Amino acid sequence: MSETPKLVLFQCQWCLFSPADQDWVDNQLSENIHLAKVPCTGRINPLYLLNAVQGGADGVMVSGCLPEQCHFKTGNIAARRQLEEFSDYLNHIGYEQDRIRFLWLDLQDRGIIQKELAAFEAQITALGPAHNLATRATETAGGANA
Amino acid sequence: MPDLDALKAEAKRILIEGVVDIVIGFKAGDTPLHPQPAFFKTIDEVDQLAFDGLCQNNLATYLTRFPKTQKIGMLVRGCENRSVNALVFEGQHPREGLYLIGVPCEGIIDWRKIVAQTGEEVISVTEQSDNTILVEAKSGFFTLEKKTLLHESCARCIHPNPISADVVIGELLPEGDPALARAIVASFAELPLQERHAWFRQEAERCIRCYACREACPMCYCEECFVDHISPRWTESGTTPAGMQGWHIVRAFHQTGRCTSCGACERACPMDIKMTYLTEKLNDDMRRKYNFEVGLDATTPPPFSTVTLDDKSRFVV
Amino acid sequence: MNLILKKDQLNHLLNAWRQDYEVYAPQSLQNFTHFLPLQDGFELAFDKAHNTRIPPKALFLPTSEALMKFTRFGGYEQIPSETTPRVIFGIRPCDAHAMTMLDTVFEQERYTDPHWQARREATVVVGLGCHEPCQTGFCTTVGSGPFNHAGLDAILTDLGETLLVETFSDKGDRLFAQLEMASVDQSVRAIEVQQAAKEKMPIAFETEGLKEKLDQNFASPYWEEASRSCLGCGVCTFLCPTCFCFDIVDEAQRGERVRNWDTCMFRTYSLEASGHNPRPSRVERTRQRLSHKYTYWVDQINQIGCTGCGRCVRYCPVGLDIRAMLRKAHQLPSEVAHA
Repeated sequence: MSETPKLVLFQCQWCLFSPADQDWVDNQLSENIHLAKVPCTGRINPLYLLNAVQGGADGVMVSGCLPEQCHFKTGNIAARRQLEEFSDYLNHIGYEQDRIRFLWLDLQDRGIIQKELAAFEAQITALGPAHNLATRATETAGGANA
Repeated sequence: MPDLDALKAEAKRILIEGVVDIVIGFKAGDTPLHPQPAFFKTIDEVDQLAFDGLCQNNLATYLTRFPKTQKIGMLVRGCENRSVNALVFEGQHPREGLYLIGVPCEGIIDWRKIVAQTGEEVISVTEQSDNTILVEAKSGFFTLEKKTLLHESCARCIHPNPISADVVIGELLPEGDPALARAIVASFAELPLQERHAWFRQEAERCIRCYACREACPMCYCEECFVDHISPRWTESGTTPAGMQGWHIVRAFHQTGRCTSCGACERACPMDIKMTYLTEKLNDDMRRKYNFEVGLDATTPPPFSTVTLDDKSRFVV
Repeated sequence: MNLILKKDQLNHLLNAWRQDYEVYAPQSLQNFTHFLPLQDGFELAFDKAHNTRIPPKALFLPTSEALMKFTRFGGYEQIPSETTPRVIFGIRPCDAHAMTMLDTVFEQERYTDPHWQARREATVVVGLGCHEPCQTGFCTTVGSGPFNHAGLDAILTDLGETLLVETFSDKGDRLFAQLEMASVDQSVRAIEVQQAAKEKMPIAFETEGLKEKLDQNFASPYWEEASRSCLGCGVCTFLCPTCFCFDIVDEAQRGERVRNWDTCMFRTYSLEASGHNPRPSRVERTRQRLSHKYTYWVDQINQIGCTGCGRCVRYCPVGLDIRAMLRKAHQLPSEVAHA
């Protein structure tokens, strides 16, 4: 495998309050991170995660708003229940739980997502590539905003 | 063994009195190992009613086929009763339109375990009063212990008694031990990651995508299943590793907080694929994290349709 | 040509074939048997189960196979047909007979399936007759039989210590060229075994006039009754040796056009793009499955499209038995019923 891990970032469009951060995510993500913007973390069907995992993602990060700060009131809490269970369940059949990470951002946060992504990437690099459930070779997995 | 005459009498009574229009039960099958689900509309038909340990289907799967205005009588065991409750909660049939004849269940016999011992060519099967089963096969006569033949999900059944039946026929049985269900999840979780994955892959790889598991499951009543979607296509359509694994992962996950551990999916599978180790894991999580068990009543919403702020989650900052 | 093979030489012969062919024979896979390529130290599983769980049609028409690869920029390449020489050893006559019916589908004059054809041509099919017929099978009823030759290059008859090999084609002759000729006595004994096996099979239902009955009762309420407990899964059709329906799907993410097994028992099989479904419920789908085998196929190739292997009976999750369904269908009134 290439040294850089393939990551997928699911980002709630409301969670980055700072325009500078949002601009960074939209335009300056490195090549190995695939961005999927969603209207709310509650919109993330577990099948989206599965698609990323089967498509060969070595790590999946979901960034959303803090509990009680959801634009749609409870979308993020519902997502937390489902996606946590889903990552736990994937762990049961061979995709390490640490490869799926959730990031809750406060409106006041500035520059957090860059640090968190860097830390996550380092963590996934240490874990190595995920082969177990990566059963579908695609042309697009991982590529920058492909 | 339930009292067949009492069952027939009750089925006839509710048909005569007009409590229900149809009674769903079982009748003797055309082959010795497979009793068939049956639908009785007249009291004469009820005479065909049969019920034994080989009745392997979850009758609740037929409930969603009837119009909601139809009054339905149904023979229910513990798991079927809980499935019915879950379906009632999901608005699939009004409880008032149902009359449940409860039968405490001693467990379903897995016909595969019989043929593993007697060979495929079975001529007749008789349940005897001393908890043994007499099997006549081409290779000879066999007397088998019923306990050893139970389907795995029945061997670890927690609630064998119908919980909310309108009438219960037969003696109530002792409740099962939740530790047994917990144990199989825990022992699987203790295996190293690669072994767990190897097991999962080996089981999923046999799949021919006939969807018998889906059709046998009372909770799989979607008009259009996610695998049938063309756009977006959620998983690969064929028997590729991605397709087979995707199907098994998501089929089970869609049952989170809805699966009653009846094991009908596994019993329907023509390829003997183990599936309950997936749904048991999810059920166990629901029990431990949210203290929720499916179908104990028809009013408690499952965890995924409620939200609270005080979940104990590894994702909370 | 009648030849004789000692049972203790069987493994030696199979190993000899492995020099030139890929040899498939029934072997145990978990709880059931499957046609798998022989490896070193193989163990045949003829005693474990009468028929393999998946019919050997899967060796010619895989559950999924890629037909071509494409890229999003318009390039594509066809995937060439496989042509590894193969021997399928120990196929039951019902399954082999079914293959000849599938030939009429995949090897039509104008529309020949190159993958099917290439695999058929590269394969030698050696059958094993059923001297002890199975319970769920009904081959003699539908015009096949425990020692039927259709679709086989050679068939083996169990004579106790030895196996009598009858070959029917050049391919078969070549495969068994090393063996000695059988004596007249042995040939006679084989015929006796074959006759005895045939007589052990009861006639499961009346086929005389069945097609007409089914034709006349297309709109009969019987179909509602017959399909009431049907789950609508694909077990009966996927495990059927004569069912061949498939679906062609473009896996856009992977860039492959694949052919998957499909079945008339699924709702999506007959669903049209408009949303209309000509077979909207299990009633019509059950009727389709039975009618295709017992009337439409009779119209097309003048044969019943079922070889009586009995898999659908054995593995139906709700115990539906096609034999009982057809017995009942035969009792239906004869007058033409128009709905």
